[in-house]
Amino acid sequence: MKTSIEWLKEYADINVSNKELADILTLTGSKVETVEEKGEDIKNVVVGKILSIEKHPNADKLVVTKVDVKTEILQIVTGANNIKVGDIVPIAKDGSELPGGVKIKKGALRGVDSCGMMCSVGELNLDLENYPGQIEHGIMILGEKYADRLGEDIRDVLNLRECIIDFEITSNRPDCFSVEGLGRETAVSLRTEFKAPHKHLENMNIENVDNIDGLTVKIEEPELCYRYIARVVKNVKIGESPEWLKRRLIACDIRPINNIVDITNYVMLELGQPMHAFDINSIEGKSIVVRRANENEKITTLDGVDRVLDNNMLVIADKNKPVAVAGVMGGENSEIEDTTTTVVFESAVFNGPSVRITAKKLGLRTSASSLYEKCLASEHAEKAINRAVELVELLNIGEPVNSKIDVYPTKQELPVIDLDVDRINVLLGTNISSKEMIDILERLEMKVEDNKVYPPYFRQDIQLLNDVAEEVIRFYGYDKLESSLVSSGDTIGERNKLQKIEKLYRTVLSYTGLSEISTYGFINKKDLENTNISYEDIEKEIIKIKNPLSEEYTIMRTSTVPSMMKVLSINNFKKNENVQLFDISRRYRDVKQDIEKGEVPLEENILTIGLYGENYDFYYLKGIVENLLEVVGLTMYDIVKESNNKIYHPGRCANLKVGNDVFVTLGEIHPVVLENFDMQKRALVAEINLDKVQKYAKQNKKYTPIPKFPAVERDLALVVDENVEVGQIEKIIKKKAKKVLETVELFDIFRSAEKLGENKKSVAYALKFRIAERTLTDDDINPVMKEILEELEKCVGAKIRE
Amino acid sequence: MKEQIQQIKENAIKEIKLAEDLKTLEDVRVKYSGKKGELTLLLRGMGSLSKEERPVIGAMVNEVRDELESLIVEKEKELKRAEIEKKLLTENIDVTMKSNRQKIGSLHPIMQIIDEVEEIFLGMGYQIADGPEVEKAIYNFDKLNTPKDHPARDVQDTFYITDDIVLRSQTSPVQARVMENSKPPIKIICPGKVYRSDAVDPTHSPVFHQIEGLVVDKNISMADLKGTLEMFAKKCLGKNTKIRFRPHHFPFTEPSAEADVSCFVCGGKGCRVCKNEGWIELLGCGVVHPNVLENCGIDSKIYSGFAFGFGVERIAMAKFGIDDMRLLYENDVRFLKQF
Repeated sequence: MKTSIEWLKEYADINVSNKELADILTLTGSKVETVEEKGEDIKNVVVGKILSIEKHPNADKLVVTKVDVKTEILQIVTGANNIKVGDIVPIAKDGSELPGGVKIKKGALRGVDSCGMMCSVGELNLDLENYPGQIEHGIMILGEKYADRLGEDIRDVLNLRECIIDFEITSNRPDCFSVEGLGRETAVSLRTEFKAPHKHLENMNIENVDNIDGLTVKIEEPELCYRYIARVVKNVKIGESPEWLKRRLIACDIRPINNIVDITNYVMLELGQPMHAFDINSIEGKSIVVRRANENEKITTLDGVDRVLDNNMLVIADKNKPVAVAGVMGGENSEIEDTTTTVVFESAVFNGPSVRITAKKLGLRTSASSLYEKCLASEHAEKAINRAVELVELLNIGEPVNSKIDVYPTKQELPVIDLDVDRINVLLGTNISSKEMIDILERLEMKVEDNKVYPPYFRQDIQLLNDVAEEVIRFYGYDKLESSLVSSGDTIGERNKLQKIEKLYRTVLSYTGLSEISTYGFINKKDLENTNISYEDIEKEIIKIKNPLSEEYTIMRTSTVPSMMKVLSINNFKKNENVQLFDISRRYRDVKQDIEKGEVPLEENILTIGLYGENYDFYYLKGIVENLLEVVGLTMYDIVKESNNKIYHPGRCANLKVGNDVFVTLGEIHPVVLENFDMQKRALVAEINLDKVQKYAKQNKKYTPIPKFPAVERDLALVVDENVEVGQIEKIIKKKAKKVLETVELFDIFRSAEKLGENKKSVAYALKFRIAERTLTDDDINPVMKEILEELEKCVGAKIRE
Repeated sequence: MKEQIQQIKENAIKEIKLAEDLKTLEDVRVKYSGKKGELTLLLRGMGSLSKEERPVIGAMVNEVRDELESLIVEKEKELKRAEIEKKLLTENIDVTMKSNRQKIGSLHPIMQIIDEVEEIFLGMGYQIADGPEVEKAIYNFDKLNTPKDHPARDVQDTFYITDDIVLRSQTSPVQARVMENSKPPIKIICPGKVYRSDAVDPTHSPVFHQIEGLVVDKNISMADLKGTLEMFAKKCLGKNTKIRFRPHHFPFTEPSAEADVSCFVCGGKGCRVCKNEGWIELLGCGVVHPNVLENCGIDSKIYSGFAFGFGVERIAMAKFGIDDMRLLYENDVRFLKQF
């Protein structure tokens, strides 16, 4: 919301600088976005009159002029060709400054002295639209009426000196989308009197009638239109508005059109109530009906665009057709034209959300619709229409009929709030007296009587005690609010188990050399398919976004691997080498069809690790994973080869399981997936389900005494078939050796078709036996070794290597 | 005999002194004190001596032997030290050469900010609360005093899964869930990902991170909020940081304010980051709206609360001097490793 300080001064005396005013208003809630001091960038430009124009001796396209600027006659050389002797023009004198930092100095053009410059509209940074008759490439011709102002500063002559403040107003304060509302805030903020120049318009005794010269109004949708007031002005003389009015419109970025339209816009700026004006002749049957549009009903709006309406949109219609989209924009068919003689002013209040949705559907957000969408006060409409009529009288451009049609089916409710001073002080943490509170509230035009607050009709945001508390603190001042701290005695600040694990993992992984990434939770179908995940197979689980921003993000990811692959791929594309990444984030799967029941779906916290580079292979990744599990005391799990997960290389992928519960999948990425992501290098990924890690992690660590007796070591070299996994062998050894075995470690694998046979390998283990109570002897170990060997032979066909 | 001993002693001392390495020294020891050493032989040959002479000579030989032994030990130490010195000279390295460390990785700048904020509030007795990102509209909006026809609920702003399920557009639904499921005193912060329908550009991302805070108890006030945020700002942004409240409007708080902090880049003098205003908008906050408390089953006549919330990306960008939000989600390791 823009307004000029000059306009604000109609409501409050302003005795501080523009900058101070901006700061004060910002701190009471009317946030100042910008303060634009117009005219400050124009210096030493005056009004001059051209006395003579002569040819330049050395240049065909230049002329030499003599200009009267009252104090002297200046010789100015110019290339302009739209000037003639006697024209009044703006003259930038020697040493002057123009917008954009341009400095004008005395000089010579092709050998002839020139003591200044004549200015165009653009050179003064003025908007051509606001100066009808002026041309873009040529000098600004000011006209005869300025003949007596030679030598005067152009800023005073054209009223260019103006301070315009742009406010960011919050949506709960439609009253402040008006100069009057901002004027009230200014007065209260500066602790000065609010002048209320329009008070007399609130309770004017104007007869309410059913029809004016045959004009009638009917509201068919009282839920969407709360009030509709019409007033009629006869014998209207359509023409240009006076300068002062046009200037104020321009200051607020509104283009003057004609006096009647300008009045509607002026009242909207001044009072925050949108107005509309119709030519009475365009209303067929002289009957105004506020109704829903018919499905596919058409209207051409004032901007010349044909619009198709639907049944949820409200229109202002006559007997046969819509003449305006209610609260949004008028129709071309009822526009005020130069020939208009009888005008109907409309001041109506519509349902806010309905206007907002209509405007959005039509792609037509107007000043009016953005005001209406904030829900305006029905009581305010009358003051606005009276102001419009008052302006007609003031400008003397027509004869208002002294009656109104006011259809007001549901009267605006005005709340009454108990003024609980103690509770307000509790909520604010202050000790403000009842007297001080009442003083603030009364200055805001709230009536306080018998400890009850009666907010004025234009403050619909004041409904509860908390709203009153906000008014108090706004003007008491947040800067005076003394800080305090909540005692921390009652609560314990502590991370939960999952949060502790996540924090630990971030530390461990970053110290291991991995970099943390951050990814979006949504992906698209193609990303899934690129990762070899069949969309169709898991469609039931997929959570689809109804209104995606673009094709790029249409579904919630059911796996974190596509996100990781995209990041690996980008890094590879950027030629980053040996990349190690991790991401702690979520995947989302509607496994139990919760969404159709209105419930939230499954979200799992996943740690995803992604690596590529010559230093990394499956076992490197496996090592990282093992360390992560070890630091949280998760040691009892199986590692099982996984050949059916299509994301991964079928020969180089594993699941980690507790019982049958897979909680980690890790492996080398399938070559097809690599190709889909344009990776020429092998990549490794691990998916670690942190919810499950948390479940299986052991929190309590217990001390085991350090052994006092030496261990007995035995080596075991076996020959087995190639497809026997060393994990299987280790499992059998552990099972059979039971408690006496301390460690078993594979230290050699040997292959030789000659010495061992085809598809055979030799595996050598170092076994360490120990018990806490005593040193073990051969008599203890030999039977155990025998049992192990027998079991190995039975289960995997292992033979001792000769 | 005595002369002979004296002679052996002198010879031995001379040889010990002349020994240049441990091997020679050992030879000297063997030559005099070994099994067949000169002194040993002397002792053995004492049988020919008289009864009176025997103890005298014996004592003398032993004395010389002890003396030689201690000289040898000393010489041995000296030689060993010399040997070490010699070895050290050959083991000189260039300490300026590259180490062979395992390079450490990095934590994402957004997570670093979240972590820092978490630590600050954990220290003040807050718990960290978490909730679903695919959330019920009732928690994301209705319970937070944002009714059905509110603009924030438009499909242009919020991602919908169904009419009733959305991608949370703020972390506030976590607050609603906590209020519903626990009794005051409540002190939580809720960090997490949120989703809004904004196209990707240097200052927007459809996914970003928020941290919200909530305190509900008896007599919780705006002054408590101001004090808490002052403490937070000083710890997070520097101890000279100042904070100011500007009245504002949010559906879930009343009174509401925006909190600005003195620019942590220029200290309030005015710079590019604070657009020469000296202040940076930090967060939105306020006293929890009584409707919100009631919607979540808390009696607003007995209890009151405050809440605040801010976007993490903006703080991370200002603090680390990152000028394009897209960098945070591109995840180029050359970017990531700078933090």
